[in-house]
Amino acid sequence: MNVPTRMLGVATSIFWVLLIAFVALAAYSVKDLGIDFGEPEYSITSENELRLALPIYVDNRGYYSLKNLHLSTVFSDMEGYEISRSETIVPILPHGEISTILHNVTLDPFILLERGDQYLFYDNNINISFAAGLNFAELLPVEISANFTFPWSAPFYDFTVDDPSFEIRDFTHVTISAPISFENHAIFDIAGNLRIELYDNQNSLLSESQTVFFVPQNSAYEGNVEFVIPLTMLSSSAVQRGHFEVYFDMGVLQYGPLVIPYG
Amino acid sequence: MGEQQTKSKNLVKDVSFRVAKATVRAILVYLLYFFLMPILSPLFEMVPGFVESIEVFVVIYIVLMILGDLTAKTVFEHFFNTARSLFFLGYLILSMGDGIFSANYESFSISVNLTLFYAIAATLSLLGFARTILQAINFLHEKSEATGNL
Repeated sequence: MNVPTRMLGVATSIFWVLLIAFVALAAYSVKDLGIDFGEPEYSITSENELRLALPIYVDNRGYYSLKNLHLSTVFSDMEGYEISRSETIVPILPHGEISTILHNVTLDPFILLERGDQYLFYDNNINISFAAGLNFAELLPVEISANFTFPWSAPFYDFTVDDPSFEIRDFTHVTISAPISFENHAIFDIAGNLRIELYDNQNSLLSESQTVFFVPQNSAYEGNVEFVIPLTMLSSSAVQRGHFEVYFDMGVLQYGPLVIPYG
Repeated sequence: MGEQQTKSKNLVKDVSFRVAKATVRAILVYLLYFFLMPILSPLFEMVPGFVESIEVFVVIYIVLMILGDLTAKTVFEHFFNTARSLFFLGYLILSMGDGIFSANYESFSISVNLTLFYAIAATLSLLGFARTILQAINFLHEKSEATGNL
C-alpha cells in the first residue's frame, strides 16, 4: 500500500508542477504581448458604404500562440439603435511573430439616413462597443471588451432657410430670395446639390431651385436660393406663408424632404 | 539507564529531523510563492482583495504543512495532511465561483475562462485528498498489524 500511495503522490506533484509552470508561463507571456494601432484609413466601397480600416499590430513575444482571435465592433446611437456591426476573425497569431490585422468597420449611409435628422443636423454621440476574444495559450479563452463614446459631428448643423424676400423682376415675374445657412461640423468636406421646392400655404408647388455647395470641414456655409414666380401669384395671400421642401444630394447620400415653414 | 539515554537521544534526533524537514518544506513552499507572486501579481491585482486572500491561503497552508511534518509518524500527521488537502480543495472551490475570472479597468473589462484550469486543479487536489486518506488507512493498518504481532 505504501508504494502505490507514494507513486500517487509523485504523480500528483509532477502534474502540479506542470500546471503551475504552465500558468506562470502563460502569465509571463501576457507581459510580452505588444498591441499597437495604426493610422485608420477611410474609403468608400462600391456599395457606397463608408469603410474605416483600422490596422492592428500584434507582437506575440510570448511562449504560446494565440488562436481564434475574434474582433467585433458595434456602433449604436445613444438610444441603443444599432447602426453598424463589423467582425474580423483571425485563426492564429503565432508566437514570436508580428501579425498585422486589418479590422474593417463599415457604415451604411442608408442606415444613417433612417435616422437622418439625428446625424445630418445635430451633433450627437455614438456608442462604440468593442470586443476581442481569443484562445490564449491554446487553452484559456479570454475576452476583452470596451465601450467608448464617439462624438458625431453633423455635416448640416443648424441648417436654416430664413424667411424669403420678394423682389419684382419685371412686369410679369417676381424673384423670391431665401438665405440658407449651416455649419459643417463633420470631420470631412461635403459637396453636393441642394434642391429646394417652394410651396404656398395651400401646399401648391410654386417653384423650385437648385444650388451647388462645397463646404470644407469645420466651416460655415451662407448662400441664397432664388425662385422665380409669376407676378400674379404674389398678389395672392397664399404666397405670404408656406413651406420649403429641401432635398440633399451628396452622391452616396441622399436625403429629403426636409420641411421648413416660412412666413 | 543506558537504554533510556539512547531512547532520549533518538527522540531528540527524531524531533530535530522533523523540525528540519518542516522548516525546509515551508521554506520551499514560501520560495515558490515568493518567486511566482511577482509574475502573477499584475494579473491578480486586477481583482480587488485577491492578493490578500492568497497571502492568507499560503499562511494557513504552510502552518498545516508544518504541523503535519512535526507530528510525523503519528495519526495527527494524517489529520493535518487531510485538513490541508480539504482546505486546499475548499479554497479552490470557493475562489472558483463560476470559473470565469473577470476584471474591469476604466472602460475596459477582461474575462478569462478558467474552467479547464480549475477542473484540472480540483482533480489534482482530489487526488491529493485521496492520497492522504490512503496514507491514514495504511498507517492504521500497519499500527494494528504491529499491535497484533505483539
